[in-house]
Amino acid sequence: MNILVVLRMIPDSAGELQLAEDGRAIDREWLDFQLNDFDDHALEEAILLKEAGGAKVMAVAIGEGAKRVLQMAAARGADEVVALQSEEDAMISSREIAASIAAMARARSVDLVLCGVQSSEDVFGQLAPYVGALLDCPHVSGTNRIVANGAMLRVTQERGAGVAVTYELATPAVLGVQTASKAPRYVSGSKLREASKTPIGRATPEPSGFERSAEIITLRLPVQGGSGEILGDNADTVADRLVGILAAKGLARN
Amino acid sequence: MKLIACTEGHSSKIEAFSLEMIAAARSLVEAGDEVVAFFAGAEADAASSLFGAADRLLVARASKSELIPAETYARLLRDVIDAEAPGLVLVPYSANGLDVAADIAARTGWPLISYVNEIKRDGDELTVVAQMYGGKILADCAVRLPAILMVNPGAFAEAAASPIDSAKVSMIDAEAVLAGGKVKMVDIDVPDYADVDLTKAERIVCVGRGIGDEASIDLARNLATLLGAEIAGSRPVVDNGWLPKLRQVGKSGQKVKPKLYLALGVSGAPEHLEGMSQADLIIAVNTDPKAPIFNVAHYGATCDLFDLVANLGDRLRAGSGR
Repeated sequence: MNILVVLRMIPDSAGELQLAEDGRAIDREWLDFQLNDFDDHALEEAILLKEAGGAKVMAVAIGEGAKRVLQMAAARGADEVVALQSEEDAMISSREIAASIAAMARARSVDLVLCGVQSSEDVFGQLAPYVGALLDCPHVSGTNRIVANGAMLRVTQERGAGVAVTYELATPAVLGVQTASKAPRYVSGSKLREASKTPIGRATPEPSGFERSAEIITLRLPVQGGSGEILGDNADTVADRLVGILAAKGLARN
Repeated sequence: MKLIACTEGHSSKIEAFSLEMIAAARSLVEAGDEVVAFFAGAEADAASSLFGAADRLLVARASKSELIPAETYARLLRDVIDAEAPGLVLVPYSANGLDVAADIAARTGWPLISYVNEIKRDGDELTVVAQMYGGKILADCAVRLPAILMVNPGAFAEAAASPIDSAKVSMIDAEAVLAGGKVKMVDIDVPDYADVDLTKAERIVCVGRGIGDEASIDLARNLATLLGAEIAGSRPVVDNGWLPKLRQVGKSGQKVKPKLYLALGVSGAPEHLEGMSQADLIIAVNTDPKAPIFNVAHYGATCDLFDLVANLGDRLRAGSGR
């Protein structure tokens, strides 16, 4: 089975985000970029499928720091790593890159495309359904378990309230991974150093093919705070206040 | 113009956000417009008894009460779009909607905006407020119709539930599409709440990514014990295997409404807030003062969560004589 897994580098949302001067993008100059968490799980699922039944895994990374993350992917078990060029300092729109991923999947006779179910920059739509529709093959998003039996896939999808639904579908297919069957593995420094010699292929993007798209007029920060009271940053005084608040509401003891 | 509101339901239940989609469409109508609700599943009668706020209801009726795979739902919706030529299609941000919205956008070529909170319409131009970067940024977007929007649950108040006139309900012959889908549902697993049911818990201590590692969960668990609370986690914590799935709060976990919700190191992504913002008392501890969790917290603290857990634990132990 040929697996293509997509790795998108996105701004670290845990850090502070500031707006660019024109207000239409976030200021990317000082940002830390990291692998989209869901894509990390997609990579892990790809490697688990390879270990379970044999597969050739191609990792395709996009964005700032792609080289670093591709070395990590190679260290974890990817057989081939490719950097898909992207516009510098632009957000990674899944709608824009879907045609490139679909073209690569076609050119390599890929059986299974894996990517994270979402990214923080997919305001114009999610990658798995776009690629699935462009390839005219089935897609399922929000997976937390994928088992391959030849060309048949058994896929479990997370729904709300802990409900899990299992589907069967045949490859070729596109899956948007929410959680890998096992937590993403760590790789040792020595493995990483070894993998740093892995040659990184390059791919140039295809035009998106979509004639019309929505556009971002401005970005803004949400109005902070509502009505909550901020108790400060001193753990000692915060604890005192909380004990009082809990006691007043009859919640301090069980 | 026709506005299609996509609705959902399975296992004898209509999803509450269905009425929100109808309300969102209703809020955008101009003279001569029509709100058309689309439903696929076996719960045709339940849909008919609730969707009176729509002008028409199209039902792709399944004979068995089971979940319709998104691939099949999207195929049925495409036929509806071909037949009705709508100007706007509203899809809920749900497990199903995540697969349907972009699929339809790719096949029609129409623009799509996801994670939508607000919509304003001026003829065939929309201005839309969408969430990005885990709710830390709002995007004001412009889009020309026809278009597709994926709307956040909770963004619009539900339309009033009322029966729809049977003359306004059309059944779509869906059997061929239902039988011919490439994605087959083989199992649905509804969790056994015997061990823990967060939806019934009165007090919850929820840990987020800020807890750092699995070993530190025990510190939060001890505090939960002192408070008589259940321990819970946000998605990253559960995905890492640090807490079981039944203890996850949020969109793909449980929706909870306890008397006390103490969030430790939870940033408050929109998907998490969807599961807990209705709690009576929300206390949030996060070193990032801009964490979105503070937008719903009644009390917030930006101190180190481990210092707070230790200090609060000491006081609770002293207070209870333990």
